[in-house]
Amino acid sequence: MSTKDPESMSTVIGNVLRYGVFLSAAVTLLGTVLLAVQTGASGIGQFLTYNSAQVPHGTFPVSLSSLASGLARAQPYAIIELGVILLIATPVSRVSMSVFLFAAEGNRKYVAITAIVLALLLFSMLVTPFIPGFNA
Amino acid sequence: MLVIEFLLVLFLASIFAGVFGSIVGLGGGVVVIPILTLWLGVDIHFAIGASIIAIIATSSGAASVYVKDKLTNLRVGMFLELGTTAGAIVGAALAAYANSEALELTFGSILLVMLVPTVMRFGEETPKSPELKGLSKSLGLTGSYVDTNGSTVTYNATRPKTGLAGMVVAGVLSGLLGIGSGAFKVLSMDLAMKLPIKVSTTTSNFMIGVTAAASAGIYYVRGDVDPVIVAPVVLGIIIGAAIGARFLVRARNPTIRKAFALVLALAAIEMILSAYGI
Repeated sequence: MSTKDPESMSTVIGNVLRYGVFLSAAVTLLGTVLLAVQTGASGIGQFLTYNSAQVPHGTFPVSLSSLASGLARAQPYAIIELGVILLIATPVSRVSMSVFLFAAEGNRKYVAITAIVLALLLFSMLVTPFIPGFNA
Repeated sequence: MLVIEFLLVLFLASIFAGVFGSIVGLGGGVVVIPILTLWLGVDIHFAIGASIIAIIATSSGAASVYVKDKLTNLRVGMFLELGTTAGAIVGAALAAYANSEALELTFGSILLVMLVPTVMRFGEETPKSPELKGLSKSLGLTGSYVDTNGSTVTYNATRPKTGLAGMVVAGVLSGLLGIGSGAFKVLSMDLAMKLPIKVSTTTSNFMIGVTAAASAGIYYVRGDVDPVIVAPVVLGIIIGAAIGARFLVRARNPTIRKAFALVLALAAIEMILSAYGI
Protein backbone atom coordinates (compact mmCIF):
# COMPACT_ATOMS: atom_id res chain seq x y z
CA MET A 1 0.00 0.00 0.00
CA SER A 2 1.34 3.43 -0.88
CA THR A 3 2.06 5.63 2.09
CA LYS A 4 1.43 8.89 0.31
CA ASP A 5 -1.98 10.25 -0.51
CA PRO A 6 -2.37 11.53 -4.04
CA GLU A 7 -2.18 15.27 -4.56
CA SER A 8 -5.85 15.36 -5.52
CA MET A 9 -7.03 14.20 -2.08
CA SER A 10 -5.77 17.20 -0.13
CA THR A 11 -6.88 19.55 -2.91
CA VAL A 12 -10.44 18.19 -2.98
CA ILE A 13 -10.77 18.03 0.81
CA GLY A 14 -9.30 21.53 1.15
CA ASN A 15 -11.81 22.83 -1.40
CA VAL A 16 -14.82 21.15 0.25
CA LEU A 17 -13.87 22.85 3.52
CA ARG A 18 -13.15 26.20 1.89
CA TYR A 19 -16.40 26.39 -0.08
CA GLY A 20 -18.45 25.15 2.88
CA VAL A 21 -17.03 27.85 5.15
CA PHE A 22 -17.38 30.54 2.49
CA LEU A 23 -21.02 29.69 1.78
CA SER A 24 -21.88 29.52 5.48
CA ALA A 25 -20.12 32.83 6.17
CA ALA A 26 -21.94 34.57 3.30
CA VAL A 27 -25.39 33.40 4.47
CA THR A 28 -24.61 34.16 8.14
CA LEU A 29 -23.34 37.63 7.23
CA LEU A 30 -26.54 38.38 5.32
CA GLY A 31 -28.66 37.31 8.31
CA THR A 32 -26.49 39.30 10.74
CA VAL A 33 -26.71 42.50 8.68
CA LEU A 34 -30.51 42.15 8.49
CA LEU A 35 -30.65 41.50 12.24
CA ALA A 36 -28.53 44.58 12.97
CA VAL A 37 -30.66 46.75 10.66
CA GLN A 38 -33.99 45.53 12.04
CA THR A 39 -33.27 45.21 15.76
CA GLY A 40 -29.82 46.74 16.29
CA ALA A 41 -31.10 49.55 18.49
CA SER A 42 -33.13 47.39 20.90
CA GLY A 43 -31.77 45.91 24.10
CA ILE A 44 -29.97 42.56 23.91
CA GLY A 45 -31.60 41.09 27.04
CA GLN A 46 -34.77 39.77 25.38
CA PHE A 47 -32.68 37.78 22.88
CA LEU A 48 -30.70 35.96 25.55
CA THR A 49 -33.52 34.58 27.67
CA TYR A 50 -32.76 30.97 28.56
CA ASN A 51 -35.77 29.01 29.73
CA SER A 52 -34.60 25.78 31.36
CA ALA A 53 -38.17 24.59 31.99
CA GLN A 54 -39.06 24.03 28.33
CA VAL A 55 -37.52 22.64 25.16
CA PRO A 56 -36.39 24.40 23.03
CA HIS A 57 -34.81 26.59 25.70
CA GLY A 58 -34.51 29.73 23.61
CA THR A 59 -37.03 32.19 22.19
CA PHE A 60 -36.03 31.40 18.59
CA PRO A 61 -37.56 28.63 16.42
CA VAL A 62 -35.56 25.43 15.76
CA SER A 63 -37.91 23.18 13.77
CA LEU A 64 -37.36 22.68 10.06
CA SER A 65 -40.86 23.93 9.20
CA SER A 66 -40.36 27.18 11.12
CA LEU A 67 -36.94 27.52 9.48
CA ALA A 68 -38.54 27.14 6.04
CA SER A 69 -41.33 29.64 6.73
CA GLY A 70 -38.80 32.03 8.29
CA LEU A 71 -36.62 31.81 5.21
CA ALA A 72 -39.63 32.47 2.97
CA ARG A 73 -40.19 35.71 4.91
CA ALA A 74 -36.46 36.57 4.94
CA GLN A 75 -36.31 36.58 8.75
CA PRO A 76 -32.79 37.24 10.09
CA TYR A 77 -33.02 34.37 12.62
CA ALA A 78 -33.89 31.83 9.93
CA ILE A 79 -31.13 33.05 7.60
CA ILE A 80 -28.53 32.80 10.38
CA GLU A 81 -29.76 29.32 11.28
CA LEU A 82 -29.40 28.27 7.65
CA GLY A 83 -25.80 29.54 7.76
CA VAL A 84 -25.19 27.53 10.93
CA ILE A 85 -26.66 24.38 9.33
CA LEU A 86 -24.39 24.86 6.29
CA LEU A 87 -21.44 25.15 8.68
CA ILE A 88 -22.40 21.95 10.53
CA ALA A 89 -22.77 20.20 7.16
CA THR A 90 -19.21 21.13 6.14
CA PRO A 91 -17.28 18.51 8.17
CA VAL A 92 -19.96 15.94 7.26
CA SER A 93 -19.37 16.63 3.55
CA ARG A 94 -15.65 16.36 4.14
CA VAL A 95 -16.00 12.88 5.68
CA SER A 96 -18.41 11.75 2.92
CA MET A 97 -16.04 13.00 0.24
CA SER A 98 -13.14 11.11 1.86
CA VAL A 99 -14.99 7.80 1.47
CA PHE A 100 -15.19 8.37 -2.30
CA LEU A 101 -11.61 9.65 -2.56
CA PHE A 102 -10.21 6.59 -0.80
CA ALA A 103 -12.42 4.36 -2.98
CA ALA A 104 -11.05 6.01 -6.11
CA GLU A 105 -7.57 5.35 -4.77
CA GLY A 106 -8.49 1.66 -4.22
CA ASN A 107 -7.59 1.96 -0.53
CA ARG A 108 -10.07 -0.47 1.05
CA LYS A 109 -8.87 -0.08 4.64
CA TYR A 110 -9.53 3.63 4.59
CA VAL A 111 -12.80 3.27 2.70
CA ALA A 112 -13.92 1.09 5.64
CA ILE A 113 -12.52 3.49 8.27
CA THR A 114 -14.10 6.62 6.78
CA ALA A 115 -17.41 4.82 6.08
CA ILE A 116 -17.64 3.78 9.75
CA VAL A 117 -16.80 7.35 10.86
CA LEU A 118 -19.52 8.70 8.54
CA ALA A 119 -22.09 6.22 9.87
CA LEU A 120 -21.23 7.05 13.51
CA LEU A 121 -21.30 10.78 12.74
CA LEU A 122 -24.71 10.67 11.05
CA PHE A 123 -26.14 8.48 13.81
CA SER A 124 -24.84 10.89 16.45
CA MET A 125 -26.09 14.02 14.66
CA LEU A 126 -29.45 12.87 13.39
CA VAL A 127 -30.60 9.99 15.61
CA THR A 128 -29.29 10.61 19.14
CA PRO A 129 -31.11 13.98 19.59
CA PHE A 130 -34.38 12.06 19.42
CA ILE A 131 -33.48 9.18 21.75
CA PRO A 132 -34.90 9.92 25.22
CA GLY A 133 -32.07 10.11 27.74
CA PHE A 134 -29.47 11.20 25.18
CA ASN A 135 -31.09 14.60 25.01
CA ALA A 136 -30.53 15.25 28.69
CA MET B 1 -26.37 46.69 26.04
CA LEU B 2 -27.84 47.18 22.56
CA VAL B 3 -28.03 44.36 20.02
CA ILE B 4 -25.61 46.16 17.70
CA GLU B 5 -23.04 46.60 20.50
CA PHE B 6 -23.37 42.97 21.52
CA LEU B 7 -22.82 41.83 17.93
CA LEU B 8 -19.73 44.02 17.50
CA VAL B 9 -18.09 43.14 20.82
CA LEU B 10 -18.64 39.43 20.27
CA PHE B 11 -17.44 39.63 16.66
CA LEU B 12 -14.15 41.25 17.68
CA ALA B 13 -13.59 38.88 20.61
CA SER B 14 -14.28 35.92 18.33
CA ILE B 15 -11.55 36.98 15.89
CA PHE B 16 -9.13 36.64 18.80
CA ALA B 17 -10.63 33.24 19.71
CA GLY B 18 -10.26 32.05 16.13
CA VAL B 19 -6.59 33.06 15.94
CA PHE B 20 -5.68 31.15 19.11
CA GLY B 21 -8.01 28.22 18.53
CA SER B 22 -6.67 27.51 15.05
CA ILE B 23 -3.01 27.60 16.13
CA VAL B 24 -3.28 25.26 19.10
CA GLY B 25 -5.82 22.82 17.68
CA LEU B 26 -8.46 23.38 20.38
CA GLY B 27 -11.02 25.35 18.43
CA GLY B 28 -12.19 28.68 19.77
CA GLY B 29 -14.41 27.21 22.49
CA VAL B 30 -11.93 27.67 25.33
CA VAL B 31 -11.81 31.41 24.61
CA VAL B 32 -15.45 31.92 23.58
CA ILE B 33 -17.07 30.37 26.70
CA PRO B 34 -15.51 32.71 29.32
CA ILE B 35 -16.09 35.76 27.08
CA LEU B 36 -19.78 34.89 26.88
CA THR B 37 -20.40 33.88 30.48
CA LEU B 38 -18.02 36.06 32.48
CA TRP B 39 -17.98 39.18 30.32
CA LEU B 40 -21.31 39.28 28.49
CA GLY B 41 -23.38 37.48 31.14
CA VAL B 42 -24.79 34.88 28.75
CA ASP B 43 -26.29 31.67 30.19
CA ILE B 44 -23.76 28.81 30.25
CA HIS B 45 -26.02 26.60 28.07
CA PHE B 46 -26.08 29.19 25.29
CA ALA B 47 -22.31 29.62 25.73
CA ILE B 48 -21.74 25.88 25.25
CA GLY B 49 -24.08 25.82 22.23
CA ALA B 50 -22.11 28.71 20.68
CA SER B 51 -18.83 27.02 21.56
CA ILE B 52 -19.81 23.84 19.66
CA ILE B 53 -20.50 25.93 16.56
CA ALA B 54 -17.31 27.99 17.15
CA ILE B 55 -15.30 24.75 17.12
CA ILE B 56 -16.73 23.73 13.75
CA ALA B 57 -15.98 27.21 12.37
CA THR B 58 -12.36 27.16 13.62
CA SER B 59 -11.81 23.63 12.40
CA SER B 60 -13.19 24.05 8.90
CA GLY B 61 -11.82 27.57 8.46
CA ALA B 62 -8.23 26.69 9.37
CA ALA B 63 -8.22 23.13 7.99
CA SER B 64 -8.60 24.28 4.41
CA VAL B 65 -5.20 26.00 4.77
CA TYR B 66 -3.51 23.20 6.74
CA VAL B 67 -4.72 20.43 4.43
CA LYS B 68 -3.44 22.28 1.38
CA ASP B 69 -0.06 22.88 3.01
CA LYS B 70 0.15 19.16 3.90
CA LEU B 71 0.54 19.88 7.61
CA THR B 72 -2.56 17.93 8.58
CA ASN B 73 -2.05 14.18 8.37
CA LEU B 74 -5.32 13.09 6.76
CA ARG B 75 -4.82 9.37 7.48
CA VAL B 76 -3.92 9.88 11.13
CA GLY B 77 -6.94 12.19 11.48
CA MET B 78 -9.41 9.87 9.83
CA PHE B 79 -8.13 6.78 11.68
CA LEU B 80 -8.41 8.57 15.03
CA GLU B 81 -11.90 9.88 14.21
CA LEU B 82 -13.06 6.29 14.72
CA GLY B 83 -12.32 6.78 18.42
CA THR B 84 -13.71 10.31 18.78
CA THR B 85 -17.05 9.66 17.05
CA ALA B 86 -17.67 6.36 18.86
CA GLY B 87 -16.67 8.00 22.16
CA ALA B 88 -18.95 11.00 21.54
CA ILE B 89 -22.01 8.74 21.24
CA VAL B 90 -21.11 6.90 24.46
CA GLY B 91 -20.59 10.25 26.20
CA ALA B 92 -23.97 11.59 25.05
CA ALA B 93 -25.66 8.41 26.29
CA LEU B 94 -24.02 8.79 29.72
CA ALA B 95 -24.56 12.55 30.05
CA ALA B 96 -27.83 12.22 31.97
CA TYR B 97 -26.17 10.07 34.66
CA ALA B 98 -22.84 11.83 34.93
CA ASN B 99 -21.74 14.16 37.68
CA SER B 100 -20.29 16.89 35.49
CA GLU B 101 -18.60 18.67 38.45
CA ALA B 102 -16.61 15.57 39.36
CA LEU B 103 -15.72 15.00 35.71
CA GLU B 104 -14.56 18.56 35.21
CA LEU B 105 -12.46 18.43 38.35
CA THR B 106 -10.87 15.13 37.32
CA PHE B 107 -10.12 16.05 33.74
CA GLY B 108 -9.12 19.62 34.55
CA SER B 109 -6.54 18.16 36.95
CA ILE B 110 -5.33 15.69 34.30
CA LEU B 111 -4.82 18.57 31.84
CA LEU B 112 -2.90 20.48 34.50
CA VAL B 113 -0.60 17.48 35.07
CA MET B 114 -0.10 17.13 31.31
CA LEU B 115 1.44 20.60 31.32
CA VAL B 116 4.60 19.02 32.80
CA PRO B 117 5.60 16.80 29.83
CA THR B 118 4.49 19.58 27.47
CA VAL B 119 6.65 22.21 29.14
CA MET B 120 9.59 19.78 29.42
CA ARG B 121 9.69 19.57 25.64
CA PHE B 122 9.83 23.35 25.14
CA GLY B 123 12.49 24.04 22.55
CA GLU B 124 12.10 20.71 20.74
CA GLU B 125 12.07 21.21 16.97
CA THR B 126 10.88 17.75 15.86
CA PRO B 127 10.73 14.54 17.89
CA LYS B 128 13.09 11.69 16.96
CA SER B 129 11.01 9.74 14.48
CA PRO B 130 10.50 6.04 15.38
CA GLU B 131 10.65 3.19 12.86
CA LEU B 132 7.40 2.62 10.95
CA LYS B 133 6.08 -0.78 12.01
CA GLY B 134 2.99 -2.77 13.03
CA LEU B 135 -0.41 -1.10 12.78
CA SER B 136 1.17 2.28 11.94
CA LYS B 137 2.80 0.65 8.93
CA SER B 138 -0.29 -1.21 7.71
CA LEU B 139 -2.38 1.98 8.02
CA GLY B 140 0.32 4.17 6.50
CA LEU B 141 0.46 6.54 9.50
CA THR B 142 3.42 8.48 8.20
CA GLY B 143 3.92 11.77 6.46
CA SER B 144 6.12 14.70 5.64
CA TYR B 145 5.84 18.44 5.44
CA VAL B 146 8.05 21.32 4.38
CA ASP B 147 9.35 23.24 7.39
CA THR B 148 9.79 27.00 7.70
CA ASN B 149 13.48 26.76 6.69
CA GLY B 150 12.60 24.86 3.51
CA SER B 151 13.73 21.44 4.73
CA THR B 152 11.39 18.45 4.49
CA VAL B 153 10.44 16.88 7.83
CA THR B 154 9.50 13.19 7.56
CA TYR B 155 7.83 11.51 10.53
CA ASN B 156 6.24 8.20 11.52
CA ALA B 157 3.51 7.69 14.10
CA THR B 158 4.09 5.25 16.93
CA ARG B 159 1.64 3.56 19.37
CA PRO B 160 -1.51 4.09 17.26
CA LYS B 161 -3.64 2.01 19.67
CA THR B 162 -2.72 4.23 22.62
CA GLY B 163 -3.51 7.26 20.48
CA LEU B 164 -6.88 5.76 19.53
CA ALA B 165 -7.66 5.02 23.19
CA GLY B 166 -6.87 8.66 24.03
CA MET B 167 -9.31 9.69 21.31
CA VAL B 168 -12.08 7.53 22.78
CA VAL B 169 -11.57 9.37 26.09
CA ALA B 170 -11.61 12.69 24.22
CA GLY B 171 -14.82 11.68 22.43
CA VAL B 172 -16.59 10.56 25.62
CA LEU B 173 -15.67 13.88 27.24
CA SER B 174 -17.03 15.88 24.30
CA GLY B 175 -20.30 14.01 24.50
CA LEU B 176 -20.50 14.42 28.27
CA LEU B 177 -19.41 18.01 28.69
CA GLY B 178 -20.10 19.62 25.33
CA ILE B 179 -16.48 20.51 24.67
CA GLY B 180 -14.35 19.84 21.59
CA SER B 181 -11.69 18.20 23.79
CA GLY B 182 -8.94 19.31 21.43
CA ALA B 183 -6.50 19.35 24.36
CA PHE B 184 -6.80 15.56 24.76
CA LYS B 185 -6.47 15.09 21.03
CA VAL B 186 -3.26 17.12 20.77
CA LEU B 187 -1.84 15.41 23.88
CA SER B 188 -2.60 11.92 22.51
CA MET B 189 -0.82 12.65 19.25
CA ASP B 190 2.03 14.52 20.93
CA LEU B 191 2.76 12.24 23.88
CA ALA B 192 1.66 8.80 22.63
CA MET B 193 2.13 8.95 18.88
CA LYS B 194 5.21 11.23 18.89
CA LEU B 195 4.10 13.40 15.99
CA PRO B 196 5.68 16.83 15.45
CA ILE B 197 3.64 19.42 17.40
CA LYS B 198 2.61 21.22 14.19
CA VAL B 199 1.17 17.98 12.84
CA SER B 200 -0.57 17.27 16.17
CA THR B 201 -2.27 20.65 16.47
CA THR B 202 -3.31 20.84 12.80
CA THR B 203 -4.57 17.24 12.78
CA SER B 204 -6.49 17.91 16.01
CA ASN B 205 -7.90 21.03 14.37
CA PHE B 206 -8.99 18.86 11.42
CA MET B 207 -10.74 16.37 13.74
CA ILE B 208 -12.52 18.68 16.21
CA GLY B 209 -14.99 19.82 13.53
CA VAL B 210 -16.25 16.25 13.20
CA THR B 211 -16.39 15.76 16.98
CA ALA B 212 -18.36 18.98 17.41
CA ALA B 213 -20.67 18.21 14.47
CA ALA B 214 -21.45 14.85 16.08
CA SER B 215 -22.99 16.58 19.11
CA ALA B 216 -24.30 19.68 17.29
CA GLY B 217 -27.65 17.99 16.55
CA ILE B 218 -28.48 17.58 20.23
CA TYR B 219 -27.67 21.22 21.04
CA TYR B 220 -29.56 22.51 18.02
CA VAL B 221 -32.75 20.57 18.76
CA ARG B 222 -32.62 21.63 22.41
CA GLY B 223 -32.57 25.28 21.35
CA ASP B 224 -29.12 25.98 22.80
CA VAL B 225 -27.78 27.44 19.54
CA ASP B 226 -28.99 31.05 19.79
CA PRO B 227 -28.64 32.78 16.38
CA VAL B 228 -27.96 36.19 17.94
CA ILE B 229 -24.94 34.77 19.79
CA VAL B 230 -23.76 32.33 17.15
CA ALA B 231 -23.80 34.74 14.17
CA PRO B 232 -21.04 37.14 15.35
CA VAL B 233 -19.09 34.20 16.80
CA VAL B 234 -19.08 32.32 13.47
CA LEU B 235 -18.11 35.40 11.45
CA GLY B 236 -15.35 36.43 13.86
CA ILE B 237 -13.96 32.92 14.22
CA ILE B 238 -13.74 32.36 10.46
CA ILE B 239 -11.67 35.54 10.05
CA GLY B 240 -9.53 34.71 13.10
CA ALA B 241 -8.92 31.13 11.93
CA ALA B 242 -7.73 32.37 8.54
CA ILE B 243 -5.23 34.69 10.29
CA GLY B 244 -4.13 32.02 12.77
CA ALA B 245 -3.64 29.39 10.07
CA ARG B 246 -1.33 31.66 8.08
CA PHE B 247 0.66 32.35 11.25
CA LEU B 248 1.02 28.65 12.11
CA VAL B 249 2.31 27.72 8.67
CA ARG B 250 5.20 30.15 9.15
CA ALA B 251 5.79 29.53 12.87
CA ARG B 252 8.42 27.19 14.30
CA ASN B 253 7.49 24.13 16.37
CA PRO B 254 8.78 25.51 19.72
CA THR B 255 6.57 28.61 19.33
CA ILE B 256 3.52 26.45 18.71
CA ARG B 257 4.31 24.25 21.70
CA LYS B 258 4.46 27.35 23.94
CA ALA B 259 1.13 28.63 22.61
CA PHE B 260 -0.36 25.17 23.19
CA ALA B 261 0.94 25.08 26.79
CA LEU B 262 -0.65 28.47 27.45
CA VAL B 263 -4.05 27.43 26.12
CA LEU B 264 -3.74 24.04 27.85
CA ALA B 265 -3.29 25.84 31.17
CA LEU B 266 -6.28 28.07 30.39
CA ALA B 267 -8.45 25.07 29.48
CA ALA B 268 -7.44 23.23 32.66
CA ILE B 269 -8.16 26.21 34.92
CA GLU B 270 -11.48 26.81 33.16
CA MET B 271 -12.59 23.22 33.74
CA ILE B 272 -11.59 23.28 37.40
CA LEU B 273 -13.32 26.63 38.01
CA SER B 274 -16.40 25.38 36.23
CA ALA B 275 -16.46 22.37 38.58
CA TYR B 276 -16.77 24.86 41.45
CA GLY B 277 -19.54 26.70 39.64
CA ILE B 278 -17.49 29.75 38.62
